[in-house]
Amino acid sequence: MAAIQPMEQFMIKKIVDVPPVLVPGLGPIDLSITNSVATMIFAAAMISIFFLAAARGKVVPGRLQAFGEILYDLADKGLTGPMIGDRGRPFLPYVFALFSLIAFLDIWGLIPGQFTVTSQLAVTVTLAVVTFAMVVIVGFLRNGLGFFKLFVPGGVHWAMLFLLVPIEFVSFLVRPVTLSMRLFGNMIGGHVVMYMFGSFVVALAVFAMNGGLAYLGFVGSALSLAMVVALTALELIVAFLQAFVFAALTCTYLSDVVNLDHGH
Amino acid sequence: MADAAAVAAAAEKGSGGLPQFDASQWPGQIVWMLVIFGVLVFLFSKVFVPKVGGTIAEREDKIGGDIGDARRLRDEAEAQSKAAADELAAARGRAHKLALDAKTAAAAESAARRSEEDAKLSASLSEAEARIGQVKAEAMTHVRAIAAETAGAIVERLTGTSAAPAEVERALPAQA
Repeated sequence: MAAIQPMEQFMIKKIVDVPPVLVPGLGPIDLSITNSVATMIFAAAMISIFFLAAARGKVVPGRLQAFGEILYDLADKGLTGPMIGDRGRPFLPYVFALFSLIAFLDIWGLIPGQFTVTSQLAVTVTLAVVTFAMVVIVGFLRNGLGFFKLFVPGGVHWAMLFLLVPIEFVSFLVRPVTLSMRLFGNMIGGHVVMYMFGSFVVALAVFAMNGGLAYLGFVGSALSLAMVVALTALELIVAFLQAFVFAALTCTYLSDVVNLDHGH
Repeated sequence: MADAAAVAAAAEKGSGGLPQFDASQWPGQIVWMLVIFGVLVFLFSKVFVPKVGGTIAEREDKIGGDIGDARRLRDEAEAQSKAAADELAAARGRAHKLALDAKTAAAAESAARRSEEDAKLSASLSEAEARIGQVKAEAMTHVRAIAAETAGAIVERLTGTSAAPAEVERALPAQA
């Protein structure tokens, strides 16, 4: 009987060895193709192929094109449109790409035996920091030093600002952390729980083989199997939802700096 | 069990046993993620979003245009049917009027003709009456001659001699 190793599924394994690239100031970086990197490349390729096929531009769409357009509408009329407004148009490609990549990686990871890239903290931190950096850069480009108005809530007594400005500032700085931890935590938690129930299915069934009262183990095994099925459905929702939440929060953060002069 | 050993090794190497906290795996994943995400964002901004968005906008334009066309055609058809209905009503009115006119004209004409006929009839009637009166008067003048002639003949037959016309004339009443 295999030992229960719930974290083993998150192990990075090398597939193709690439000699480390020496980056000045950072030292050597190992760019080997690992299971994580391979899945990222695969995801990007699949997304590109899908949207190339979906962007055929027929007035009467086929199924593939219709699905692509549904996703486009989700990003356009569900995310950037209502959350940022008219000024959100330029950010649609970024938000759409972010949503597509995270959603694909989340859902792909649910296939048994496939690697879940979004359960890698390095990946979620990268995406969160890129998003955060973009928000800061866009904030300064659009508002100049007026960007700092973001930390000054309107309509409060000036004495309160001594308390509120630091709170606002910290809550702003903590955004990339919450953004990355939310996705990472959801993915790792879901996969560990699924792994545990999956291992119960086997372990309890094996235990039930001892006979006698141990036959009750089959009941536990069946219940665990039902749990795995239910969890798979739940995780499918979570996978989509976390991608949506990541993209929605990106929109919210962008809206903060893009519509700063609108008095939010 | 090689995997398990690797996990154990990673657990020793990493902080707290989670493979995700193994810092040696971070740089490669970060660089690859940046590159891949960068490529994806580029593709989305240059190809996918303009193309799919353009298609959707084009379709909305087309649908809007088609609806506009349909609405215009419907309005046109409604106007035409209204015009046709108006025309029909006007034609019906005209026909009605025409029929009425024809009827009154016919009635007037027939009345005129009748009165004319009446006049003609009464004229010929009076003429006929006059002729009858004339004929009657004439006949009345002849009655004396006939009576004289008849009386002469009777006298001749009875007496064997013919009576002188003056005598017969005298014997007749002055007025028959």
